[in-house]
Amino acid sequence: MGKPVCPVADTIERLDEIISNGHLKHARCRQRAEEILKLMEDVASGRGGSEHIPAMEALASTLQKEGPDAPCKKTGAMLVSVLEEHREVFKSHLDTQICPVTDCARLIPSPCQMACPAGIDVPSYVTLIGQGHDAEAIALIRKDNPFPWVCGLICTNPCEFMCVRGRIDKPISIKYLKGFAAERAMSDGLYRNPEKAPPKNQKVCIIGAGPAGMTAAFFLALKGYGVTVLDALPVAGGMMMVGIPRYRLPREVIDREVAMIEELGVEFRLNTRFGKDVDFDQLTSEGFEAFLIAIGAHDSHKIGIQGEDRYPQVIDAISYLRRVSLGDRRKPGNRVAILGGGNTAIDAARTSLRLGCEEVTIIYRRSRSDMPANEEEVEQAEEERVRFSFLTVPVEIKGQNGKVTSLRCVRTELGPEDESGRRRPVPIEGSDFEFQVDAVFSAIGQRVDPTGFETLKTLEWTRRGAIKTDAMSMETSMPGVFSAGDAVLGPATVVEAIGGGKRAADAIDRYLSGIPQPKMPPVPVRRDRVEFLEVPASTKMTLQRPQMPMLNDERRRVTFQQVELGYSENAVREEARRCLRCDVCVRCGACVDLCRNKMGIDALKLGYLNFDHQEHTDFRVTAERCILCGACAANCPTQAIRLADVGQDRILSLCGTVLNRLKVERCEVCGRVIGPERYHDYIAKRIQGTSPRLKKGLLCLDCARETGARRHTEITPPKLTV
Amino acid sequence: MEVYRKSQDDDWQAHMDRYVGLHGIVTDPDMVKNDPEALIEVTLDGEGTHRLPQDCLRPLKD
Repeated sequence: MGKPVCPVADTIERLDEIISNGHLKHARCRQRAEEILKLMEDVASGRGGSEHIPAMEALASTLQKEGPDAPCKKTGAMLVSVLEEHREVFKSHLDTQICPVTDCARLIPSPCQMACPAGIDVPSYVTLIGQGHDAEAIALIRKDNPFPWVCGLICTNPCEFMCVRGRIDKPISIKYLKGFAAERAMSDGLYRNPEKAPPKNQKVCIIGAGPAGMTAAFFLALKGYGVTVLDALPVAGGMMMVGIPRYRLPREVIDREVAMIEELGVEFRLNTRFGKDVDFDQLTSEGFEAFLIAIGAHDSHKIGIQGEDRYPQVIDAISYLRRVSLGDRRKPGNRVAILGGGNTAIDAARTSLRLGCEEVTIIYRRSRSDMPANEEEVEQAEEERVRFSFLTVPVEIKGQNGKVTSLRCVRTELGPEDESGRRRPVPIEGSDFEFQVDAVFSAIGQRVDPTGFETLKTLEWTRRGAIKTDAMSMETSMPGVFSAGDAVLGPATVVEAIGGGKRAADAIDRYLSGIPQPKMPPVPVRRDRVEFLEVPASTKMTLQRPQMPMLNDERRRVTFQQVELGYSENAVREEARRCLRCDVCVRCGACVDLCRNKMGIDALKLGYLNFDHQEHTDFRVTAERCILCGACAANCPTQAIRLADVGQDRILSLCGTVLNRLKVERCEVCGRVIGPERYHDYIAKRIQGTSPRLKKGLLCLDCARETGARRHTEITPPKLTV
Repeated sequence: MEVYRKSQDDDWQAHMDRYVGLHGIVTDPDMVKNDPEALIEVTLDGEGTHRLPQDCLRPLKD
């Protein structure tokens, strides 16, 4: 399948060809076509405004209707047709400042922004943080995500997986920068809500106060809708509150960000379970015109072994974590076994240690390297002295007098790879053994709990037990009922839920406003074009991603205090300077190609530009070879590379990274700047043997011509023609 | 990895057809790496982050 083509870039190319090939003979017609071309180039370069599309439409229509000849009318008809068929794409370019097809160079999004499920403009906020503008950074993030502080602590950061800096050394620590800025903005009293639109007389009901539901509530409230959020739990936050332990995400962080949403006038009805305390008909009769189901995935899969349902000390880890989060801090027993190898298992184990359990063991049927849990969290659990029993499968839970006493297990070995490339654990015969335990927590996967929704007969579910939802419109099989978050995806991440909530808010707004739903996934929005941070090349290369300071191991074993203590201010500002600003440099490689193949200098060692065949990168090499000719800057499609004369120096920079700085020389006759000595040497070498060197010293082009002309007239008498 | 074909799964939607042939990175391997049935979080080059069924994905050779 070929790469999709951007209709904006494609039309510019076609129109440019029509004009330059002289197809439009009539001057007035050519002038109008050139005006349209100019307007289109504005759209493609981020300089367009709301008047551009109507202006282009009017001009194209004039060409079509009033054109003096056939080529003019034909060109007009082509433009009218393009603008009609692709109006949404042109509008999207203007609204988002992004060209998702990446044909319009100045509108190519950064990989980190594209990777973020919430579509946050990462390079802009990282740079703002680098400038010390934390509150502005948070305001920018909240245009796409109302939970920057939460995400600054627990996001799974897909942005960092795609970070281009990772091709050089390590990705920018995007998550922790966000966490720092949010904390600082909140502490300074500068964490504020944006302006709300005037109220609309329409109400939306959101079922579920988790990240998806509250994100939708935030954006709908900003649009002026009356929003009510129901939740079965006594607190808002959903899985952020009852699934993630407090040592990773303090409750105050969630409370403060929820309070910001409440401040917008969102009503929270807690302790209200849909299907039990309130039903669909009641809510409809209250005047709600649209619904969002964002109930998360709070149910657990069964282990399926003997004794599982016989003892009250055998529960699923999600229920256990919920119980502890809601304030039950009783020790579940001295010896605890957790079944599973994912993040929930790790969370349950580390929580048990903090409640005073003496022996906490994670039992996992595969090897350590196969564990689905986040590697950092596994390491932290090991540091806290959680025990692991790998290649072990539980087969029976035993007990006496209604209490669990032991867990019978067998050892396994990994068999050959199956068709998906995974090695399945195979039990070893006769390897049975027993663990003495007081409690068993199962953490082998979550699913959506459909309880309460049985009455919605036309609500369709997927075979995975999630709510069937159109990925574009977020609409379910019931008109006016939308769904987002884990309820749609199954157990996923907080940032995916936030992205889904944002899409759902947009879809509900369209539904209530009678606007058609989109046919394609949303395009992220470029929120700003922040000026670069100036960094010397050597600093850019030597700055290291900072280590996260941690709470000491002893305190981690006995308290729920936050384990990751956060970066220092200096570390944050320095880390932001490592950013390569991929929102501006689109890694087209034109500069490298020109320098190496056209100029023959090869001063740009930017191996990271090539995704598939990465080579060595060293910004410092440029200063050794670069002659500051400026060819790279002149041909850069996005002005990422700049050449500037500052004082006595000429400076070449790439997105603020100073690659080369040389003293400039001046014309000995008129005093004009004529570039650095190295550049003159290069030119002299290139023209050696083809043109005589002037004996007079350094001259600018004009003075050289003047001098040359004078010499020419002196030595060559004019030919007289009779 | 590469999206090398359309998936037969219910969760494959029509707009995903244009992802066939694209390369990307599994950005959340922790959640599902031992469960071939689960939807997996993938960041596709230039197309953002999505949850896709695993039967349409294959690892790229180094």
